[in-house]
Amino acid sequence: MKKIPLHFFHEILGAKFIEFHDFIMPLYYTSIKDEHLSVRERVGVFDVSHMGEIKIKGKDAKKFADFILTNDILNTSYGDVKYTVMLNEDGGIVDDLFSYTISDDEILLVVNASNILKDYNHIKKYLWKGLDLINESDEIVEFAVQGPFSQELLQKFTSYDLEKIKYFKFDIIEIFNERVLISRTGYTGEDGFEIYMSKDKGEKVLKEILEKGKDYGIRICGLGARDTLRFEVSYWLYGNDIDETINPIESGQKFLVNLNKDSFVGKDALIKIINEGVKRKFVGIEVEGGIARHSNKIFDKEGNEIGFITSGNYSFVLNKSLALGYVNLPHGEIGEEIKITQDRRVLNGKIIKKPFIKPRVKKEG
Amino acid sequence: MSKVLENLFYTESDEWIKVEGEIGIVGITDYAQDKLGDIVFLEEATIGKKVKKGESVISIESVKAAADIHSPLSGEIVEVNKEAVQNPQIINEDPYGKGWLFKIKIENLDELKDLMDAKKYSEYRKE
Repeated sequence: MKKIPLHFFHEILGAKFIEFHDFIMPLYYTSIKDEHLSVRERVGVFDVSHMGEIKIKGKDAKKFADFILTNDILNTSYGDVKYTVMLNEDGGIVDDLFSYTISDDEILLVVNASNILKDYNHIKKYLWKGLDLINESDEIVEFAVQGPFSQELLQKFTSYDLEKIKYFKFDIIEIFNERVLISRTGYTGEDGFEIYMSKDKGEKVLKEILEKGKDYGIRICGLGARDTLRFEVSYWLYGNDIDETINPIESGQKFLVNLNKDSFVGKDALIKIINEGVKRKFVGIEVEGGIARHSNKIFDKEGNEIGFITSGNYSFVLNKSLALGYVNLPHGEIGEEIKITQDRRVLNGKIIKKPFIKPRVKKEG
Repeated sequence: MSKVLENLFYTESDEWIKVEGEIGIVGITDYAQDKLGDIVFLEEATIGKKVKKGESVISIESVKAAADIHSPLSGEIVEVNKEAVQNPQIINEDPYGKGWLFKIKIENLDELKDLMDAKKYSEYRKE
């Protein structure tokens, strides 16, 4: 098990830990619910240093990133962040990630903790001559400051006007008396920022955020709230909702794929998939009588197995048990009634619209 | 350190029972609610159902996990805490009070000898 750089600081803060892939991570400090609501109503800070940072450096790094990723990276410039997937040759999702364009010759990829080595090896396979691929994951700490007061709080640490950083933009700025990369991004459906810095600065910065954050009722939040928050706005969790057996058309992530690009890894397979038509659909489900969980099976009213649950949880904002999952087409119409077999009972479910609540991020006009 | 009350009997699966004459009030311990974390679902027990000591009666679910609740003694379910079914969070807030789960009519008080008292349970769940 790998400890994140600030592990012992989190222990002092009272974290309960959980094993998450290769990492031992804070799950919660006080209660998942309290932490969840602090982000929806005020502000919360997460140490997400388990996330991977992989750099592509050298001539035409951006062009190369455009080739291995599905979204349009080619037409980006300094300050742009793109949410994208990376595919295998069969069109399956290797990872979903953020791509930061630092220059035409430098791209930063922020990848899922569970996929750092896999992604590195996948990219290495295609790497163009003259490019360097650098895994900086162990050297960097990442904090996510999320919630309606996140900008107001962070503004106290810098003379730089944070309003200038729009949604899905980043800049490298002076803040906390350090030079750090900060983006207006997140995984909670609230306005907020993600901050990357070298690990030696982490503890000092987190302490400052928590201290000043007291005025806003800040909570330090763990992976538990991170999961319940992303779930309410139906953001995909790699390993749960998407993986290499699932393509971005069926996962509802076609918006991350730019088919106008000349070529990208997985494009041929994806075009074939689109032409043949996908066989299943990613849907939202309202659940009665319990919590549906990953890999529970979904049945139609006649008892035919029609799909599976990928994420299930309780929504602290809607006060309902909800789930995400795949159902075979033509199933999946809004309002369709289904059954879910859980470990203990059969639960009733109904297909509903997702996201369950609308993200309140600051969308660009 | 989680709270353990003096006048209750405890199971190894972290239920408590309070004996009032022939009626037993059943709940989960402070240790159990803390381990489960935010409780979001409590199955409603069926009134009139006969249960054996140690039998799984209902399930309880938190954000993190699901668990079975076992009856500490044999008997018949005579009352259900509807408030806890409606608002399971009270189990976290007050596991020995407002967050009780169900009541049984105790069949055989001799079975109490198999349960732990507060002192033994505290030892058992010492971290």
